[in-house]
Amino acid sequence: MIMLVILLPILTGILIPLIPFKKRKHMEIFLESLVIVNSLFVWYLMFHHTESIFTLANFTGNLSISFKMDGMSMIFGGLVSALWPLATLYAFEYMTKEEHEKVFFLFYTMTYGVALGISMAANLLTMYFFYELLTLVTVPLVMHTLTREAILASRKYLYYSLGGAAFAFIGLIFVIIYGNTTNFVYGGVLDLEKIGGRTNVLLLVYVIAFMGFGVKAAVCPFNSWLPAAGVAPTPVTALLHAVAVVKSGAFAIIRLTYYSFGTEFLKGTWAQNVVMAVVMFTIVYGCSRALKETHFKRRLAYSTVSNLSYILFGVTIMTPAGLVGAFSHLVFHALMKIASFFCAGAVMYQTDRQYVHELDGMGYKMPCVFGIFTLSSLALMGVPGLPGFISKWNLALAAVESGNSLAYWGIACLLLSALLTAIYMLTVVVRAFFPDKEFDRSLLDGIKDPGWKMLVPLFLFSIAIVAFGLHSVNLVKFFDSVAMGMK
Amino acid sequence: MQYMILSVFFPVLAGVYLLIKKERGNRKYLLVSTGAFLVITAILVVLALCLGREGMFTLFSLTERLPILFKIDEISVVFSVLAVLIFLCAGFFSFEYMKQEKWEKKYYGFYLIILGVLLALCFAGNLITFYLFFELLTLSSFPLVLHERSKEAVMSGLKYLFYSLCGAYMALFGLYFVERYGNTLTFSAGGVISDQAVSNHMGVLLLVAFLMIMGFSVKAGMFPMHAWLPSAHPVAPAPASAVLSAVIVKAGVLAIVRVVYFVFGASFLRGSWVQTVWLTLSLFTVFMGSLLAYREPVLKKRLAYSTVSQISYILFGLAVMEREAFTGSMLHVLAHGLIKAALFLCAGAIIFKTGKTRVEELRGIGKEMPVLMICYTFVSLGLIGIPPTGGFISKWYLAKGALTSAIPVFYWLGPVILLVSALLTAGYLLPVTIQGFFPGEDYDYGALQKKEPSFFMIFPVLILTILSVVIGLLPEGVIGYLSQIIEKIV
Repeated sequence: MIMLVILLPILTGILIPLIPFKKRKHMEIFLESLVIVNSLFVWYLMFHHTESIFTLANFTGNLSISFKMDGMSMIFGGLVSALWPLATLYAFEYMTKEEHEKVFFLFYTMTYGVALGISMAANLLTMYFFYELLTLVTVPLVMHTLTREAILASRKYLYYSLGGAAFAFIGLIFVIIYGNTTNFVYGGVLDLEKIGGRTNVLLLVYVIAFMGFGVKAAVCPFNSWLPAAGVAPTPVTALLHAVAVVKSGAFAIIRLTYYSFGTEFLKGTWAQNVVMAVVMFTIVYGCSRALKETHFKRRLAYSTVSNLSYILFGVTIMTPAGLVGAFSHLVFHALMKIASFFCAGAVMYQTDRQYVHELDGMGYKMPCVFGIFTLSSLALMGVPGLPGFISKWNLALAAVESGNSLAYWGIACLLLSALLTAIYMLTVVVRAFFPDKEFDRSLLDGIKDPGWKMLVPLFLFSIAIVAFGLHSVNLVKFFDSVAMGMK
Repeated sequence: MQYMILSVFFPVLAGVYLLIKKERGNRKYLLVSTGAFLVITAILVVLALCLGREGMFTLFSLTERLPILFKIDEISVVFSVLAVLIFLCAGFFSFEYMKQEKWEKKYYGFYLIILGVLLALCFAGNLITFYLFFELLTLSSFPLVLHERSKEAVMSGLKYLFYSLCGAYMALFGLYFVERYGNTLTFSAGGVISDQAVSNHMGVLLLVAFLMIMGFSVKAGMFPMHAWLPSAHPVAPAPASAVLSAVIVKAGVLAIVRVVYFVFGASFLRGSWVQTVWLTLSLFTVFMGSLLAYREPVLKKRLAYSTVSQISYILFGLAVMEREAFTGSMLHVLAHGLIKAALFLCAGAIIFKTGKTRVEELRGIGKEMPVLMICYTFVSLGLIGIPPTGGFISKWYLAKGALTSAIPVFYWLGPVILLVSALLTAGYLLPVTIQGFFPGEDYDYGALQKKEPSFFMIFPVLILTILSVVIGLLPEGVIGYLSQIIEKIV
């Protein structure tokens, strides 16, 4: 069953160019139904999974490609499978303006399977394998428009990701050598006897592997690929570069920290301080760059840089409570950011406007889009009653409870970043709804909200944002049980 | 209980309705419905205060430990009555004043939402509820600031927004620690911090208390985070300036009352460095605000600087942490609210009728609008603190409280600065009256026209003036009412 959900999207993707669809509509129906079916399978699996490990291939010794559904897979897999059908629907409308649609959907759908593969990998090697695969299938998506800018961006993306993976590989090797097993076990697998006096070497390796996986999670100083990759079509930037790809980086780091090295080994060491400091710096850095950026999508991309580090901040607190904070932001940020990216995409699609200063008065012409954008902005800055507040609350409480004085500064970084977030998001909202007195409204004639394929996902996201903001108790309880190692 | 919730939700929903309703250009309908909404809200509040006093009401829970909770106590009553009174008067005033402005529907929409959010702030029963509505207050009130959409208005609107959010986040920082070291987040007289935490984490807790006070006092315009106030309040339409300056800044005061007396507890902060710094900053702000107001030629800006100074009177009284000073603060909340609303409405009426904004242009204004300017004079006297007006009583209590307290240096420095500032207040308010009624020999009486504003404008000003005088004549009722709660918290 696990193999099915991973392979189905990959095969579907490959089939798309092969099947001669008569009309575009047929392809849409074919693709959408398969993606939905696959998501249903994933959700079925989540509720009826077994503890057993499914091994696909066994290499020498303890190296194998194997899969397992545990609590963390459920969080990431569930998130990805909930968002994918909606993003695909959105892409149908968005891509009518782009060329080479089939190639696009080929890779777009394959990515779904690969992302699920990462989420359900049962050991480091499998995760690493899919992690590399993810880079390879998403490069063509970045390159899609084939402009010079896009090609440069995709090349940058490729080099950064491969380089990061190489560093992560070092971590993999050390875990294989010094661990009891390469499987993910909550609490870590390192064998202290084997390590002996080489603690510092292993800590160094942890930092290296952290930074390696951190490339995908856009940790400073390896973040510049992410804003550059914003040249890709919006469904890619929204789903892959705000959720699937970047969060697989964060996901890998959680696996590395909690399931391979183990927090007991890392907590209180210099390695923890180093990664936490890097993450805190990224939080502030990302926001300040977003503030300076005037390109709408790139601004959101920088915001992603900062928000991903919120997740990693939770990870580096290295307590179960911190992990709960990380999980909540992993899920909630996905919803908020995909909604705001889709709004930006809708604006680009309808008007070809890309810069923030071109958005004056648009709130009147596209009330739905900018209404939802406002909602997601408020959620991102953490107004209570919306999900951003909950995840920030969990993160900050974890930091307070940990008693780590560096983590106290982390809270300050979070709040500073929240203020900057308010500035860079709300200036857009104010422009859209409160244009200047002398503003000439006739400039906006003919602009209107996009079609239902774009609006339906947006509305669903906004409903989810409000729902999670008001009622997240059950979800957080589930996160709690995962973070305590019970699922 | 149900009235409590209704009085919060009704104006918010009514405001949202006005915002999303299609523009029909039927001004009369808009005014009638807004007026009706305001009156209904007032009735609901009165009902809530009379009938729904008992118990707490949990609306829902954000997380297991974070209920959205409402509760009414004596402090809520004082603030909510003030809010409703001023919103009614300024709303009535707007019906005439906003004729000249665009986007009226938006204005009334946000106006109603703000009222609802303010009432929620008054009724909030715990820190998280308070924080929620504090943020919403900022978000719903900045559209009033940038209402006129000039470049200046938009910039000040954003400035207001970001200053306030910055303050809110400082407070949020503290909230995390209170959640960790407090027994509960529910406001309870005397504080909620657990004794164990007090002995073990004194340093952190004091820092956190300081951050929360500083954060919330951004809204109250205390130095060094006051800069938004003099630029944001004057650019709004006059009735909006009135509610901003008279009520919305009081949300910051209410926040500090809650944080200091209901979360940390006065006994925890008394005598600490936090109190000293706070006293210093508030006194400095009192003086600085008056001085800047004295030098300011534009009337509305002058009034805004005056707010900076006057709110810090209140903060000073809170920082002394003695009974009489606290009483003085509460009285000054009422007195300043009524007076400042009246002053801004006067300034608005002058602008509406004559278009004059600078003080030196106002020669002979008293001859043109005698009733309005008599009201102006009365409330000015009140703000200066001349008996028997409201301002006198409150300042009397403030000074007395400071003098009887045992805080070194401040027990005499406080009253001295209050007096100097009162002198400056006279200096910046009375010239308008003097020049207005006694324009001098060279004034051209021939060109004099009667420009008395209409009933819609005069009436609210008159009401506010009378109330501000009444409060000075009969303060015993308020003091007696407040004494119960004051005994518990100080």
